[in-house]
Amino acid sequence: MQGNISSIERSKAGQQAQTVRVKPKWHMTALHVVYYAILIALLVFYMLPFWGTVMTSFKTNSEVMTSTPITPPTAWTLEGYASAMEELGLPLLTSLMVTLFGAAGSVFLGSICAYALSKWKFRLNNVFFIALVAATYLPFQAILIPLLQTINALDLYDNIWGLVLVHTVFGMPMCTVMMRGYYADVPDALVRQAMIDGNGMWQIYRKIVVPNTKIATITVFVFQCTSIWNEMLFALVLGGYDSKPATIALNELAGTMAAEFNVQMAGSLILALPVLVLYIFMGKYLISGQMSGAVTAS
Amino acid sequence: MASIKIKDMSVSYNKGKSYVLDKLNLDIKDGEFCVFLGPSGCGKSTAMHCIAGLLHPTNGEIWFGDEIMTSADGKKKDKTFVPPQERNIAMVFQEYALYPNMTVRENMSFALKTKKAPKEEIDKRVAYMAQMLSIEQLLDRRPAELSGGQRQRVALGRALVRDPQVFLLDEPLGNLDAKLRDQVRYELKKIQEQLGITTIYVTHDQTEAMTMADHIVLMKEGHIMQQGTPNDLYDHPANEFVAGFLGTPQINIFPCEVKGDVLDGGAFQLKVPESLKACLAAYKGKKVDLGIRPSDFELAENGGEGIHVHVDSIEPLGDAYLIYVRVGEKVVVFKYTGETAPEEKELVLRPNMAKLHLFDPTTEDRINK
Ligand SMILES: Nc1ncnc2c1ncn2[C@@H]1O[C@H](COP(=O)(O)OP(=O)(O)O)[C@@H](O)[C@H]1O
Ligand SMILES: [Mg+2]
Repeated sequence: MQGNISSIERSKAGQQAQTVRVKPKWHMTALHVVYYAILIALLVFYMLPFWGTVMTSFKTNSEVMTSTPITPPTAWTLEGYASAMEELGLPLLTSLMVTLFGAAGSVFLGSICAYALSKWKFRLNNVFFIALVAATYLPFQAILIPLLQTINALDLYDNIWGLVLVHTVFGMPMCTVMMRGYYADVPDALVRQAMIDGNGMWQIYRKIVVPNTKIATITVFVFQCTSIWNEMLFALVLGGYDSKPATIALNELAGTMAAEFNVQMAGSLILALPVLVLYIFMGKYLISGQMSGAVTAS
Repeated sequence: MASIKIKDMSVSYNKGKSYVLDKLNLDIKDGEFCVFLGPSGCGKSTAMHCIAGLLHPTNGEIWFGDEIMTSADGKKKDKTFVPPQERNIAMVFQEYALYPNMTVRENMSFALKTKKAPKEEIDKRVAYMAQMLSIEQLLDRRPAELSGGQRQRVALGRALVRDPQVFLLDEPLGNLDAKLRDQVRYELKKIQEQLGITTIYVTHDQTEAMTMADHIVLMKEGHIMQQGTPNDLYDHPANEFVAGFLGTPQINIFPCEVKGDVLDGGAFQLKVPESLKACLAAYKGKKVDLGIRPSDFELAENGGEGIHVHVDSIEPLGDAYLIYVRVGEKVVVFKYTGETAPEEKELVLRPNMAKLHLFDPTTEDRINK
């Protein structure tokens, strides 16, 4: 009994210690008010256009003309969405294909490069790495013309696979650089142990490195998906009419239909939705700081 | 199963600026339990990683039986190098290195699965080894859910389920508590004897080395100080370092001067026994270091000849007493096996004259054979 009482008392004391609050000085409180006022002002500033977009997308075209963008619609309608989908349906499918295959391709190649660069010593290892980092800073405009000629020569112009190829190749350096960091976190002791257990270089990659960096791979894949999904430059130059991704189609929506703002806003939201959903569900992993816990072994 | 031979092996981590191992030569017999013993940082793990093929020595050769595994001659590229996955070795790393994505069972089966062993065989061996190491109830857990000691036993089990040419164990018991360590040590020795597989065991703990080894290789700063059976090293240490490293409590060293037939330690004089006269002939009038192990003293009954000491403190061990005494200014320890500790403050100790160790104070090498 004696022991019980004392332990309860101790835990009470512990709780008190935790709940003691330091009363802030008055000028600290005032500062907080100012901070929050600034934060809220910034929030409104950033969210207002988005709010306007959402409101406009649910209005009829005639109401768009007569009201300010930020007032809610008097009659909610999906008219805008229906018209937008007519134009965007096929391009969205194209975008989806290009995004999935392009991201998968660059993640796959990047993963293999990253494995070689982080876990195996070979001559010019660092030179390769620096070249890849440099490649991530390459301005795409600079190589657009030769690229177009190459794609033409490969007979891949206005072809989904042409876009997939280009995104795979140009996404690879970024994927490599990101994944090399994650793979470096896999302890070398595991690689050595796997060797001792009779595994060669590729078996170790397949059985040890990949299974222990799943979350890292998903993170890079999502990152790659969003950048391909949002991409316009390659899409504009290499996708002609048949393989037109949604970003281009949206742009045309703005250009051709004179001032049908509700349709344009609906289109923008449709395009933004997948990325938004991904970020909401994956946000936790996309903050790179969270990664370290996911791959550490031992 | 194989014997291991190392010829003139040198290892450098900085391209030859300094050597972690320097011209190591070693012969390990087939089926032998060989222990690499030495203080932390002396190169034990390095030597083992070379044998495993995880490190490339700058010079030297490594043979398993009559197959050459590594042969290097200072050039960038090795003359011969068998990669670790083809050496058929099982190894326990100091840092466990359990695969975090696999359960304990999968960890233990991994190497056998890689070799495409039949499933029933794998299950049988894993079950047997799990039982030997008392980790059966952990088989379906992941490494992250285990304590340090449990991980260490899993790492050990993962190596022992295999049927390799050589076991390489790098401080595999370092994280177990004392009781478990004794138990696992006993099991390990038994399993090794049963399997008869050549084993190299790295430790800095002399008790482990003394109790398990057939063959101890005692290292210091990349050199082998002495090798042989535990009794060889304990009874005939080749130098003061070996004498001091083996045996707890440590051997007592008395700086003495040889004066005619007498060893003069300042606070005491000992008559040189017949057996040592020949080897001390060259040291007439010079200094020597006299080593006496704590267990090689006995109390002289009612006075008599010996070393006069003053009792400092007494530590009961249960079955014996460690008595710390002063000889002049020096504190010396001796192990007393009587029923009750002596009550007098002044004692006379008589060393076992057959078990004296004499060392040259400058080279620290052994003088008497
Ligand atoms: N990867 C390394 N790079 C440079 N020096 C190392 C490396 N590994 C070990 N050493 C050095 O080599 C020496 C021997 O190390 P090690 O073989 O691990 O010793 P032990 O296992 O006997 O404690 C130490 O001085 C250590 O600092
Ligand atoms: Mg070590």
